[in-house]
Amino acid sequence: MKRSQSIALAIGAAVIVVAVITLSSGTPPPGLIGNSEFVRLSEEGARVVDVRTAAEFAGAHIEGAENIPLGDLPQVAEGWDRTEPVVLYCAVGDRSDSAAELLQSMGFERVYDLGDGIAQWDGALAGGAQTASTEPPQVAPSDLPVMYEFYTDW
Amino acid sequence: MAPVVDRLKTEYESVVDFRIINVDSDPEGAELADGFGLQFVPSFIFLGRDGSQQDLLVGEVSEDQMRATLDALKQ
Repeated sequence: MKRSQSIALAIGAAVIVVAVITLSSGTPPPGLIGNSEFVRLSEEGARVVDVRTAAEFAGAHIEGAENIPLGDLPQVAEGWDRTEPVVLYCAVGDRSDSAAELLQSMGFERVYDLGDGIAQWDGALAGGAQTASTEPPQVAPSDLPVMYEFYTDW
Repeated sequence: MAPVVDRLKTEYESVVDFRIINVDSDPEGAELADGFGLQFVPSFIFLGRDGSQQDLLVGEVSEDQMRATLDALKQ
């Protein structure tokens, strides 16, 4: 067997071993995750962090999450164990993406990001979402149809 | 979303009333968002001429999707 073939075989074997270990452990590799991986990691005791604002968190959040707004994360995360898994989420995935990059730059080894955010979450929510009024709110009259955009700086 | 909304606002300003609200800096706006039962930002609410809610879009919305919603709204 040629040397190049041996090297290719060795690399292939290594990839298979890593894949088998990852699959058999049931833990997804760090990075973007979906709802099912989120649930699994949460059940395994990962730290779940909602990086939205306090007002958004109060409105509704995923059960068991702690609220660390993105701006506060560098200071708060300083005291965390960098080997423990951290699962991040926000509204639609932008802020959690920034938070994941931040934690990785701080040396965190297992950072997970719920890529589609709470907007696509299909599990239970905690918070005040159920208290929303059933009556439509009063809005300033207009002669035209109206489009409201509600946003935050983050 | 800002460039998309800015572009559409310019294009549709004669037929749709755009109201852009930062829920962090506008307490009345945040109250209004609560009134609509919003849980996430960004959220987009579309009201007909009679004030009734016609549509709701949540999260990052494509320009095509928003354009289609605005076209339906102005009819």
